[in-house]
Amino acid sequence: MSSLLEVNGVTVSFDGFRAINNLSFAIGTAEMRAIIGPNGAGKTTFMDIVTGKTKPDKGSVTFGEPPIDVLKLSESQIAGAGIGRKFQRPTIFENQSVADNLMMALKAKRSPFAALAYRRNEIDIARVAALATEVGLIDSTTRQAGELSHGQKQWLEIGMLLAQDPQLLLVDEPAAGMTVTEREHTTALLKRVAETRAVIVVEHDMEFVRRLDCRVTVLHEGAVLAEGHLDHVTANQDVIDVYLGR
Amino acid sequence: MAIPQTNIIVPAELSAHQPLWKRNPSVLVFTGLLALFTIAVTIASEGLGLGLMSTSFVKVLGMTLCLCLAAIAMDLVWGYCGILSLGHFAFFGLGGYMVGMWLMYARTEGIVIASMAGAELPPTADEIRDAIGTQIFGVVGGSEIPWIWGFADSLVLQLMLVVLVPGLLALVFGWLAFRSRVTGVYLSILTQAMTLALSLYLFQNDSGLRGNNGLSGLQNIPGAEAISQSVMSVWFFWASAVALGLGYNLAAWVISGKFGSIIRAIRDDETRVRFLGYHVEGYKLFVFTLTAVISAIAGALYYPQAGIINPAEIAPIASIYLAVWVAIGGRGRLYGAVIGAAIVSLLSSWFTGGQAPSIPLGFYTIDWVDWWQVLLGLGFVLVTLFAPNGIGGLVDKLIRKGNQP
Repeated sequence: MSSLLEVNGVTVSFDGFRAINNLSFAIGTAEMRAIIGPNGAGKTTFMDIVTGKTKPDKGSVTFGEPPIDVLKLSESQIAGAGIGRKFQRPTIFENQSVADNLMMALKAKRSPFAALAYRRNEIDIARVAALATEVGLIDSTTRQAGELSHGQKQWLEIGMLLAQDPQLLLVDEPAAGMTVTEREHTTALLKRVAETRAVIVVEHDMEFVRRLDCRVTVLHEGAVLAEGHLDHVTANQDVIDVYLGR
Repeated sequence: MAIPQTNIIVPAELSAHQPLWKRNPSVLVFTGLLALFTIAVTIASEGLGLGLMSTSFVKVLGMTLCLCLAAIAMDLVWGYCGILSLGHFAFFGLGGYMVGMWLMYARTEGIVIASMAGAELPPTADEIRDAIGTQIFGVVGGSEIPWIWGFADSLVLQLMLVVLVPGLLALVFGWLAFRSRVTGVYLSILTQAMTLALSLYLFQNDSGLRGNNGLSGLQNIPGAEAISQSVMSVWFFWASAVALGLGYNLAAWVISGKFGSIIRAIRDDETRVRFLGYHVEGYKLFVFTLTAVISAIAGALYYPQAGIINPAEIAPIASIYLAVWVAIGGRGRLYGAVIGAAIVSLLSSWFTGGQAPSIPLGFYTIDWVDWWQVLLGLGFVLVTLFAPNGIGGLVDKLIRKGNQP
């Protein structure tokens, strides 16, 4: 299987502290992967590197076919190349309506002139309505995003991620603040998305990871500690040590 | 995408493209009120109407409209895009200088030719040019016409420079600042530094723009000597009103659609906008340059009414005032900017014009020329504390109350 994203020997340190230490990671074109690890394991820094927020000191990151060098691109170029990100804390535009939030994320030309000339059309409205239906916000399209509940904000951000139509989705703790039914919906949605795209889920909640039923990568001190099915990695003595303490 | 395409009901609220006045009703209200105001001033004016209003007051009102236009530009860049520029009055002044160069050159040329008409030999082009140079630059001890006046004999070219010079300055400055990701208060300081540098440069006698004397006599329009100031003041008032009306509509159009949505998103969380795939710096640069050009056009209409421009006009404090007007009026709403600029600048000229009665306290007399700034500062603090959305925010509240059944 050819890989969509390949991270090779990446190291990044902040003030001498190695947040990521010689990390290598790969994911295929239609694959779901969960990344788990204790606090400070480098999960968020990993996402920052892949999305261009942080530049590593060493190593390479390539994406797509033919492979492009992600490290040479800016955040917006990486997003344009097809890597979408959902943040841990829902970051949506609270002063704007749900529909405007989705409209902004919708895949389209991103230049200022294209945005100025843009006119709302039936196709895009149908796409927004479809996304809003998918994330259960179809009755709230004109509401201000700031008025939504925490769970709904999570949903809106997932909707915005889908709207970008990315090849690779980086999802940071999607289930935080969601009810049990919402969690089930999220799992089903992510699984469906992973049939055609690569999805990386960063999660603390083992129960949620179990439900995703996918390969798991365990990070510890900025490097991969173990990789495999959840049952396999939880049986690993190193992982038990890290999670339960010696 | 893995989205089921069946059973999707598109809500009516998500309707397709709507005309601007439907998306933003304030455009209709504002344009209407501006038209009514223009008619009223014309009727009351000395030049074309009943003479209820002095020519100088018509000029003050026309100048106020120009300041309102600059405030709209400020609101667009600060209130909507979140860039607190403390340099937009520099662009305003530059626009004034560009148009002032033609006004002064062409008028001096007319005077020189008239005075030389009595000579036995018709003056050569060089003689005329020398005489113009002496006339304009004698005051700073020169007679050479600097190269920057190269286009000053052409109204069309000089009007193009009104847009090009401030536009290019904003483009280059903005490009350098935004690509280095200078944001927030650091950007404000940088724009303030640009303004200070420009004004200090213009204060120099060898800057080619007459140092601290500035350009004067701008109220006399070359080729229109037969038209009295009372009529000319109404014409300029009309031009200012048209510019303000167009500026309001343009700004409303820019902020109404997807572009507006994106720049407000940049204001609230620019990092997030980057991860949506938008090149944030490009958007900021576009808004910064567009608003610089709008400011420059406002300045080009303002200074022929003021009659004089000098480097003090570009002093950093002027750009800060512009921000204060927008803050008091209520940023993030175009009419707020207009209300703020109109009220504060009119009050300012009333208080500092010596018309406001002094208040004798026995031991001390409050003289408003000195104390106006204290009052303005106090007002700014009060608005910030008790009406953070400014006067425009109070208007919003009233409208919302009125809409409730």
